[in-house]
Amino acid sequence: MQLENDQKSIKQTQMIIKVATYWHFLLSFSGIFLLFIILYEHGFGKIPVWLSYIAAILLGLLSIGSFYSGIQLIKNRRQGRTASLVVNYLGLIISILFLFQNLGVFLGVDALANTFGSSIGWLSGVLIGYLVYTAGDRFHYRIHIEEMFHKIGKYIALIFFAIFLIKAGLIPALIFLAKQMIIPTNFVIVFISILFGLAIWAMWREATALYLNRTNAQTEALEGYLFLSPNLIGFLIFFAFPLVFSFYISLTDWDAFGNSNFIGLTNYFKLFQLNLKQLANSSQDFFNVMDGSIFSELLRFNMFGKSYVLGAADARFWIALRNTIVFGIVTVPLSAIPALFLANILNSKIPGMKIFRAIYFLPSIAAVVGISLIWQWLYNATVGYINYFITIGLDFINNIFSTGYPQAQIRWLSDSRTALLAIIIVSAWQTMGFNTVLFLAGLQNVPKELYEAATVDGAGRWAKFWKITLPLLAPTTFFVITTTTIQAFQVFEQVFIMTNPPGSPGTSTLTIVLYLYQNGFQRFQQGYAAAIAWVLFIVIFSVTLLQFRSQRKTGAYDV
Amino acid sequence: MKSFKLSRFLTNLGAYLILTFFALIMLFPFIFMVTTSLKTPDDTFNYPPRLLPREGVEISLEGFEKPVPLYLIEKDGVQSEFALVESGIPAGIYAETDNQSITYSVPLDQAKPSESGEQFVMPDGTVQPIMDVLINGNIVQLVQVGKTALGRFIDPEDFSREVFQVVRTSQPVTKVTAHPENYTRVMTMENMGRSLTNTILVTLFVVIGQLVTSVMGGYAFARLRFPGKDKLFVFYLGTIMIPFVMLIIPLYQLMVLFGWTDKLAALIFPWIFSAYGTFLMRQFFITVPKEIEEAALIDGASRFKILYSIFLPAAAPALATMATFTFLYAWNSFFWPLVIINTGNYENHVLTLTLNMLRGRASDSANLILAGAAISILPPFLLYILGQRFFIESAMSSGVKG
Repeated sequence: MQLENDQKSIKQTQMIIKVATYWHFLLSFSGIFLLFIILYEHGFGKIPVWLSYIAAILLGLLSIGSFYSGIQLIKNRRQGRTASLVVNYLGLIISILFLFQNLGVFLGVDALANTFGSSIGWLSGVLIGYLVYTAGDRFHYRIHIEEMFHKIGKYIALIFFAIFLIKAGLIPALIFLAKQMIIPTNFVIVFISILFGLAIWAMWREATALYLNRTNAQTEALEGYLFLSPNLIGFLIFFAFPLVFSFYISLTDWDAFGNSNFIGLTNYFKLFQLNLKQLANSSQDFFNVMDGSIFSELLRFNMFGKSYVLGAADARFWIALRNTIVFGIVTVPLSAIPALFLANILNSKIPGMKIFRAIYFLPSIAAVVGISLIWQWLYNATVGYINYFITIGLDFINNIFSTGYPQAQIRWLSDSRTALLAIIIVSAWQTMGFNTVLFLAGLQNVPKELYEAATVDGAGRWAKFWKITLPLLAPTTFFVITTTTIQAFQVFEQVFIMTNPPGSPGTSTLTIVLYLYQNGFQRFQQGYAAAIAWVLFIVIFSVTLLQFRSQRKTGAYDV
Repeated sequence: MKSFKLSRFLTNLGAYLILTFFALIMLFPFIFMVTTSLKTPDDTFNYPPRLLPREGVEISLEGFEKPVPLYLIEKDGVQSEFALVESGIPAGIYAETDNQSITYSVPLDQAKPSESGEQFVMPDGTVQPIMDVLINGNIVQLVQVGKTALGRFIDPEDFSREVFQVVRTSQPVTKVTAHPENYTRVMTMENMGRSLTNTILVTLFVVIGQLVTSVMGGYAFARLRFPGKDKLFVFYLGTIMIPFVMLIIPLYQLMVLFGWTDKLAALIFPWIFSAYGTFLMRQFFITVPKEIEEAALIDGASRFKILYSIFLPAAAPALATMATFTFLYAWNSFFWPLVIINTGNYENHVLTLTLNMLRGRASDSANLILAGAAISILPPFLLYILGQRFFIESAMSSGVKG
């Protein structure tokens, strides 16, 4: 009887594998067919060229994978099972994503946002349920009371969540989706996804796995990719692909409406094109020496008694680059050095240290937009506190040294000499507390014995700082400086909010990212903007590399 | 021994002074934000600036329909509170004939041409009549040099005691007040109520989504062996440092392709996959002892079951740390929403975008703008007070382990 059953089940399994094999050949042939349609007919007309290439590559790979798994399945090898599962899983995911996109599931968030405001209150019920649940933990010595609390908490949370869903419009949404299902394309996609699902089931079931001699390593690898897949697929779509795509865009004259021509490195040439000409005298008109339709004046300088003028095809880019580098060079020490100083004081274990640390950390959790608005008013020329404090300070000096400084009336944000400084101060202020916390964490890793030994040897406070703290803190310092630099080179929001129009007065606060934004989303030269992004990346990368090198060179101890 | 204690006391004192000074620098802008958001519009334009919201005190007087404002006025050498009952009274500025720098501002009807009919030749050559002017009950002979407008102030206790004085330079009696209605007002401006719920919605989705994907990915990287794992992990690590601006243009094009421009979907779905979060969870899961997992596996538990019932409960602090990190990122992000959501599409704005709009629309109302800023800044602060540990840890995890 047992034997008969086994025989039956093996027959069944063979049958299933055979069907799966046919399915894979069918899949690979239809994949190839689709690929040819896309390549020769340029697909379905609507989709852009680059997308059709990507679709073709994807289809090609899937077809090959499917064909391979079909072949391997004929030979009853376990590789066939792996390939089959991968292909079918990808097929299932792609068709479900297609279905969701077609049904408008992703855009359903907008619909949810319409009703979310009126239904959000019910979500607090879920919180109450959670609180009840955790309250049960106090009775851990009486297991049945604890379980009762857990159960009640769970039900409360579920009931409130259900109410929330209904209030948020779950039922109309379901009705809408059901109606959408009747549309033939959606129906077909659902059918295909069910086929993929069936194929996965056929391969995953224990009988098939045993028949195909599965190993533990194989199972673990499959599970590994299964667990990683949501992350990996999203990562590829929204990170890795855009990164590569960005380089392609930078080689085109892409505008926002999807029209593009491949123009090679023209964008980069335009960015870096400079022209140096000698001037007859230092006040000679720029247009006499250079073609004004291509170049604009960047700077004039005197060398060896002669005047020169430097023209650039895109002078604003160079100005933005200079501003960004100045911003980085000033902001990083301005936020890192006080942070190191404060962290050293905080590390001396004085009471109340946690309160100070908490206060210093506050600015870094606030929105940059909000911070910028606050500081905009602090910087106000007539009633702002910054000028007021300076005036108080000047009055004090006036009283002591009987000097005659007038009231401070600095127009911080609308004076081209102070605008960049004003933004530097805000950024340094905001990152200082964060850096303090990082330094403090680093300091707490420094072994106490070293200080004790140094004290025994008669080292003073400063000697300890220079000879022990700083070298041992080098990894943290490196990290702080690197991240602060990367952040500083991307400064955008502060400038965008605090100066009006952004980058003003003149070009004194024009930064690279702001210039990128203006090109990409105001003038819609997205190809050019992508090229700027790559230049910024190279700048950031080389600065990081430089810092990395210098850290190596100083031979920092790794704690 | 004594000197040791003393020097230690002095060092500590110095440390506290420095720490407090920096703490004030860090706190002051936020205090300024909160107090200014409670001010009246006039109060925001005071110089010298006052930190606490203040407004003029008004009292009801017999014989006056409306409450009248109180001012601090010096009369007969004593400073006391007077009520402003009439303003804009036409008045002249009168100067002494022999010393033109001493001037008095007096209502026009209290000056009459002098009975003597004398005239005075001004330094610039014009001829002015000498006037009899009533000053402090005495009649003084003065010459008019200019015009002004005065307010009539009376003593609330004794209506006959009155003073004429320029209103603008008088010092009003103020009291500390608060106008929380600024908050309700700003909530109705620029569709802020909607953008607040939008922000909450987006943040919820992003936090939950990132937790799910990072926990699963982190578990795979930490505990499962599969071909290509190490290379993939290095690839993930390498991308952590890549600046976001690199992605903004291709991502925008991707959103155009998906039809997600101007939609909240664009603020959510690209951001629920995080290499950094995956890395963080992997670092944590790697510290969980292997034996428990192996025992569960032998008992026949599935990987999902193991992840759900062994790893997740153990990872609660790590989850909270990552959640705060993601929360801050989603709540505070501005550049991406600015790019992807149309300024005209008020239905899909998030808080930061609304603040940007508010800055243009209510540019001279500091109280309203800062009330808006407070609405976006205070919720993270509230969470920070509740779970400070996780915020600090999220900062530390980025540094020490990275």
